[in-house]
Amino acid sequence: MSLLKYIIRRIIVMIPVLLGVLTITFILSRMMPGDPITARLAAAGLHSPSEELIHQLRCQLGLCDPIIIQYFRYMGDLFTGNWGVSVSIVRNQPVWDLVITRLPITIDLTIFSIIIASFLGTKAGVISAVHRNKTPDTIVRGIALVGVALPVFFLGMLLQYTLGYQLGWFEPVGFLSAEYEGPATITGFIYIDALISGEWYYISDYIWHMFLPVFCLSFLMLASITRQTRSSMLEVMEQDFVRTARAKGCKEKTVIHSHALKNALIPTVTVIGLSIAGLLSGAVLTETTFGLNGMGSLFIDAILQTDYWVITAVVFLVTIIFITANLITDVLYAILDPRIRYN
Amino acid sequence: MEKPYLVLEEELEEVEEKEKITKNIISWIFKNIKFLILPGSRIEELAARQFEYEKNVSKRSLLRRLKNPLTILGFAVIFLIATLAIYAPWLSPQSYADAMLVHSGSWNPPSPEYPLGKTAMGGDVLSRLIWGARTSLTISLPSITLSVTGGVLFGIIAAYFGGWVDSLIMRICDIMLAFPSLILSLTLIFVFGGSIEIILLVWGFLGIPIYARLIRGNVLQARQLPYIEAARVSGAGSWRIMFRHILPNVIQPIIVFFTFDIGAYILGLAGLSFLGVNQSIMIEWGNDINVARANPYEAPWAGLWPGFMIFLTVLGFMLVGDGIRDALDPRLKNL
Repeated sequence: MSLLKYIIRRIIVMIPVLLGVLTITFILSRMMPGDPITARLAAAGLHSPSEELIHQLRCQLGLCDPIIIQYFRYMGDLFTGNWGVSVSIVRNQPVWDLVITRLPITIDLTIFSIIIASFLGTKAGVISAVHRNKTPDTIVRGIALVGVALPVFFLGMLLQYTLGYQLGWFEPVGFLSAEYEGPATITGFIYIDALISGEWYYISDYIWHMFLPVFCLSFLMLASITRQTRSSMLEVMEQDFVRTARAKGCKEKTVIHSHALKNALIPTVTVIGLSIAGLLSGAVLTETTFGLNGMGSLFIDAILQTDYWVITAVVFLVTIIFITANLITDVLYAILDPRIRYN
Repeated sequence: MEKPYLVLEEELEEVEEKEKITKNIISWIFKNIKFLILPGSRIEELAARQFEYEKNVSKRSLLRRLKNPLTILGFAVIFLIATLAIYAPWLSPQSYADAMLVHSGSWNPPSPEYPLGKTAMGGDVLSRLIWGARTSLTISLPSITLSVTGGVLFGIIAAYFGGWVDSLIMRICDIMLAFPSLILSLTLIFVFGGSIEIILLVWGFLGIPIYARLIRGNVLQARQLPYIEAARVSGAGSWRIMFRHILPNVIQPIIVFFTFDIGAYILGLAGLSFLGVNQSIMIEWGNDINVARANPYEAPWAGLWPGFMIFLTVLGFMLVGDGIRDALDPRLKNL
């Protein structure tokens, strides 16, 4: 079976899962105790609206119909690309526009964290395995243990207090300095926009702000990647082909990096795939800690104000990101280890 | 001339030897008089040898393998946290209701009367730490038990019966696992309310698919083994095979995950309350950190101590989990 066929089959399997996710989210959002109409009217300054007004507004939004009809209408709308309109967060703004302004921050945060954590984690794992039971190994394992046990929001607060407030090296909150408005929105990703429009100073400002959140989030993943790399490196280093490589006169560096590490990376990729779920949860916490306006804070706002359409959209999008990330991991796995028959 | 002398010497040696033997016997009798008179007493020499033997045997046993410094540290930490949780009414300076109330002295710094300072509501940080241990353990222990029990049940059923039962259970698990757990649990808790029972049930429920998938894999391997066939041939029913024959043979990874994941559950719970689901209903460490975020620079003590407690508890459970895994399966020691 070719790789392409495998990917297509995986995407087909994803469809029922996504339908299930949508249905569950739809049901859950409609079961929420609050009511978007009341929240919206309260935001507009109307604290005791008449029953008639509420009923009228509900019917305008299509909430009077039986829940089954609402469900099928929502699904139909989704397939035509209509994600609904935000009711209570930002009045009458299409949900898609709302989501698309928040999505880049979350994606930046997670992707940078994954890259940094995988890079540093494999490096640390290799160091720890090569110097087994010596000082570097003890240090790396100690840090990994702390990384597993430290809550990401607590680490964030510690860094905010020490590096941000006491030493003043980094900006503790937000993703751009207050005096900047941000580059002209083209793709939504700040560094790409800044590159296109030529406003280079935004890039450095953005990196300066995002350093602490990305560090926190990658620390969460770093531990499991390091542990996995270490254990599989130790296993691989004892195998025959490593001895052969040494015997034929390869440098130790070549043996470790091109012979052993390549084979040790396969389980590490699995661990990276598995920790993406935790990473998305961690992203919500990190965004809250550092006051970044990403998907996480949007989700919490939506839940607090019972904005049905925003809740469903956010959960759906995050789930799609999650499932896609898993798919990418599996494909990487298949590329790294051709022995695996994709079934 | 020489011969008689030699004979004399040999005779002398013989006599000496005889005396030696009698001496030895007498001394042995005197030495072991306790053994000869008292029933049930043991020869010291033999006892020492037996002790040596038993020491070697128990070197291979589980308990002795748990005796490494990090695991003992983990056990000590868990013991400390459990003590705080169980004896909270005696240890805490303020009672639960008192610590929940609004007092004067918002964000007061540490003082002799309140050694760790005060929170935004003027509550004593120390009391809230102690009561928080109780909340954390009351929620995380039952919920992980629920997850593991449910996971074992569904995992074994899915793997044993196979066919449509297997695909149904696994598809449901797929859908549940497709959600990032924090987001789904946040939604569920908002729908059903943020009381302790609801949080406990939601966490327990959301953990089921993870364990079901794990155990299913193990059972699928175990199902092929000859002893299952033997059990079936001797007339055992499905339920008997599942829970009397398969379960004891796949229990090992379950125990390891159970200990290891208690820490993860406490972390998740703290994250959840950090987002502010149960603001005023209970005393919880994550909750306190969330409140402390309002004034992090002037009153760092309000957020520092709860965070440290979360870290300590999770670390304790993870160390013990590591230790148990190594003890149960020394092959995994390098992990």
